[in-house]
Amino acid sequence: MPGLDYNTLVVLVGTVALGIAAGVTGSLALLRRRSLLADALAHATLPGVCLAYLWTGERSLPVLLCGALLSGLLGVVIVSWLPRVTRIRTDAAIGLVLGVFFGIGIALSGHIQRTVTDASQAGLDSLLLGRTAGMLFNDTVAIGVASLAVIGVVFFLRKEFLISCFDPGFGEVEGWPVLALDLLQLFLLAVTVVLALPAVGVVLTAAMLVIPAVSARLWVDRFGILMILAAIIGGATGGLGTLLSARFESLPAGPVIVLVSSSLFIISLLCAPRRGVIARALRSRSRTLNRETRRLLALLLEAKSRGKNTVPHSHLLGRERSVRRRSLDSAIARGWVQLDGDGISLTEGGHQRALRGRRALQLWHAYLEDAASIDRDLVDLDEEQIEKILPAEKVLELERLLSSRTEGGDG
Amino acid sequence: MKSPAIEVHDLTVAYRAKPVLWDIDFSIPEGEMVGIVGPNGAGKSTLMKAILGLVPISSGWVQIRGEPISKDRSSTLGYVPQRESVDWDFPVTVLDVVLMGTYGRLGWFRRPRKAEREWAQDCLEGLGISDLASRQISELSGGQQQRVFLARALAQDSEIYLMDEPFAGVDAATEEAIVALLKKLRARGRTVMVIHHDLQTVENYFDRVLLINLRLVAAGPTREVFTRENLLFTYGGRLTVLDEAAEAVRLAHGNAGNLKRHPDAGS
Ligand SMILES: Nc1ncnc2c1ncn2[C@@H]1O[C@H](COP(=O)(O)OP(=O)(O)O)[C@@H](O)[C@H]1O
Ligand SMILES: [Mg+2]
Repeated sequence: MPGLDYNTLVVLVGTVALGIAAGVTGSLALLRRRSLLADALAHATLPGVCLAYLWTGERSLPVLLCGALLSGLLGVVIVSWLPRVTRIRTDAAIGLVLGVFFGIGIALSGHIQRTVTDASQAGLDSLLLGRTAGMLFNDTVAIGVASLAVIGVVFFLRKEFLISCFDPGFGEVEGWPVLALDLLQLFLLAVTVVLALPAVGVVLTAAMLVIPAVSARLWVDRFGILMILAAIIGGATGGLGTLLSARFESLPAGPVIVLVSSSLFIISLLCAPRRGVIARALRSRSRTLNRETRRLLALLLEAKSRGKNTVPHSHLLGRERSVRRRSLDSAIARGWVQLDGDGISLTEGGHQRALRGRRALQLWHAYLEDAASIDRDLVDLDEEQIEKILPAEKVLELERLLSSRTEGGDG
Repeated sequence: MKSPAIEVHDLTVAYRAKPVLWDIDFSIPEGEMVGIVGPNGAGKSTLMKAILGLVPISSGWVQIRGEPISKDRSSTLGYVPQRESVDWDFPVTVLDVVLMGTYGRLGWFRRPRKAEREWAQDCLEGLGISDLASRQISELSGGQQQRVFLARALAQDSEIYLMDEPFAGVDAATEEAIVALLKKLRARGRTVMVIHHDLQTVENYFDRVLLINLRLVAAGPTREVFTRENLLFTYGGRLTVLDEAAEAVRLAHGNAGNLKRHPDAGS
């Protein structure tokens, strides 16, 4: 590959490993509802970076990142501690820590810029927005190795993390140390945030953790597969962003990585099956169509029972509470109704279908009558769903009930 | 003498400074079906969590089969939490959730294998939902969610089961399935403690009741304890509930019932 020198290759491997780790811990954070906390954590690292620099007076990445980890963890501790001892709620605590820590960090870095004039202070800037090109060989190797360690821990503890995320109370009854597992998970999150700092910087680190996880969640519905897909997205966008930023000197890696993953997110949001915007719109449209078609058949059946085989167009279309054009078209296409000059009438198939629908609805109402409480999901069903849910013996029982009731009413 | 399945002595539990359970004393013999009854916020869930060791105890103690709660309690205690306590949009399938009931036995790092999967499938069968095994939990109805939780508890295969409102918001078919399961557990000599909100069915389902409202109002065999006076005391004279209660008792006893508080207190 032209232009891909050895150094870029090393940086590339490092950021891919980092992207994978970010996808994995980001998924866990998403499931524990900690995405916002990840952002506060990232911002809270800045004062630690500056203080570590002021303390040691040298720009050594491991030292700066140790400072970042410590002040990030301090921020998390404050976020969890404030709501317990004061009336401040978690969301406010997160906002508070994010703002206060970041403000202090900015003030400190301004101070450093004014007082320290040697070239080494340039490294601090890159931690704000990320600059993979400035990363040293050894730093990259260390970041890659640490990322692999994070991935390894999650891999071996995936069953334990699953139960402590999904149902901590149950997990504790089963004897798992859920609190320790939760703290470990938080620690891994903090480590990943810190590892991501040199590449994407304080401001965008949370995006690197959150976006792959949220995108993956739109496509998949299994815990393990979610983490794998988020890892793939994180690794791929991390690598691609690095390459682009290496190719075009003026582009900092952080924003490029985030732009790449954001594009993927937007595609996921639109196109994901089931959870995507388009799929949802289609589903809702077909539900409405289904419901209106059922109502159309019921109206026609009722008219027929009053001896009116054909109902004028104007009685069904264009008025309130009535049927839309496209539902009528769909009923015609399915062969249930036909146009008779100016009117609409049921076909033989449509008549059967309408009878079947009415029967199912009667059974369903009788069935729900003696239910202690009605599940919201079970109210708006069509005849096919009802027939699938009601067991055969229940249908017989309900039919006996219904026929005895009509006899009772007649006599 | 055999020690009771659950023994609670002088138990007080407080969240911060406010006590939500105060001076609770009772014991449950093995193999009984016990209902916990009381108004909202009475501390029923908290009592269950205290027995399970999930909330810190301010004073008093809890013993399970004559021993304090240990870290490794999964073979002894099975738990069905309140349905709303988890995120039902979590990316797992029904089988994944039921398999969690085997995690305690599996221990660190070991993954569920074929044997565990088959066992979980049997547990689903026991609740009549084996066809839902690969279903995403976000696609379940309320009654199905409850059955999944019960199947998970079955998978724990414990001696003592604690269930927090398993009958809340379920359809008639699910209620039947749960009752059938409770009967099966009793037949196997398991002890089951159930938080219950439907006063009409208490007499039918439970051998023993605990009436709770911050304090223990009464505890003992259902026929002796589930009386109008005790319910009146438990519900603090709230009329709508009380009428329901009176009706339930009238149906069950055909008389006013005898007032007998704390039959366990002397023993
Ligand atoms: N984690 C908690 N922190 C503070 N108060 C709580 C907590 N959980 C429950 N409570 C309070 O304790 C009381 C008893 O709650 P709970 O045991 O859930 O009652 P029940 O299950 O009988 O409805 C209620 O007043 C409730 O507000
Ligand atoms: Mg409760």
